[in-house]
Amino acid sequence: MEQGPYAHVAGHRFPGGTATVEPSMNRLWCDAVCADDTAPHVHPMLVYYAAVQGSGVTFQDIFDLLDGSTDSGIMVGEQRFAFHEPLAVGETYAVSGGITDVQRKSGKRAGTFDIATFELELRRPGEDALLATSTTSFVFPRREEVPA
Amino acid sequence: MTTPAIEVGTTLPAFVIDAVDPEKMKLMAALLRDPNPIHIDADSVRALGLGDRVINQGPNNLSYVLTMVSRWAGGIEALRTVQMRFLGNVFAGERVECGGTVSAIDADSGTATLDVHATADGRPVLQGTIVVAR
Repeated sequence: MEQGPYAHVAGHRFPGGTATVEPSMNRLWCDAVCADDTAPHVHPMLVYYAAVQGSGVTFQDIFDLLDGSTDSGIMVGEQRFAFHEPLAVGETYAVSGGITDVQRKSGKRAGTFDIATFELELRRPGEDALLATSTTSFVFPRREEVPA
Repeated sequence: MTTPAIEVGTTLPAFVIDAVDPEKMKLMAALLRDPNPIHIDADSVRALGLGDRVINQGPNNLSYVLTMVSRWAGGIEALRTVQMRFLGNVFAGERVECGGTVSAIDADSGTATLDVHATADGRPVLQGTIVVAR
């Protein structure tokens, strides 16, 4: 494992903002993942997407920070959550966070790849109490690189 | 809902998707404005040498596990922490089976730790740990 050429991206903060999961979005999400309708609570996995939407960046923005093209096979490697209370459908939450870590790895099968981790926190606007944290690691294949 | 009586070794009822529906991948891609073509275009998957069918969004697979756990634990409000590793891709049409076992109980914090996993046509695709209130 090495830091790699994108180590400087760690520490990058997203603009932040707010997120609201509308009832129709939660219902469609639950349908798409074959889940029971979780209303009045937000589906726990949708917390991740709500956090991204409220962070002030898009997936494409995150890909761009790591020079990852959408046709390069970018995958989610690991997902973590800490829930202090369920989020409510229709409520607005403040989102903050950014890239916390970038590591370069290589393997015989997978070749060379970068793992970028970003962490997002959700709170009620104007309050300090943390409601949920979403931590995601994306895997960026680097097919042009030759494994060491 | 109430949390069932549990002990270390208790097995959760499995949650099964008989065949992952590619139309739901399209719905998810549209909902999330996800630009990754591997979820909607099999040619992109072939071009990357990853297979010949579209690939389910990783968070969809994790959602299946969360549904299994929240049904068993008495609702999503029981979820405390989740840590999951994605081990492989799930392709359209594959059978996904989620399972879990209670690995620890902490009476002081009132929580139970679950070792959970998911397979696609028998291949491991997700593995991790979820802590729930009990």
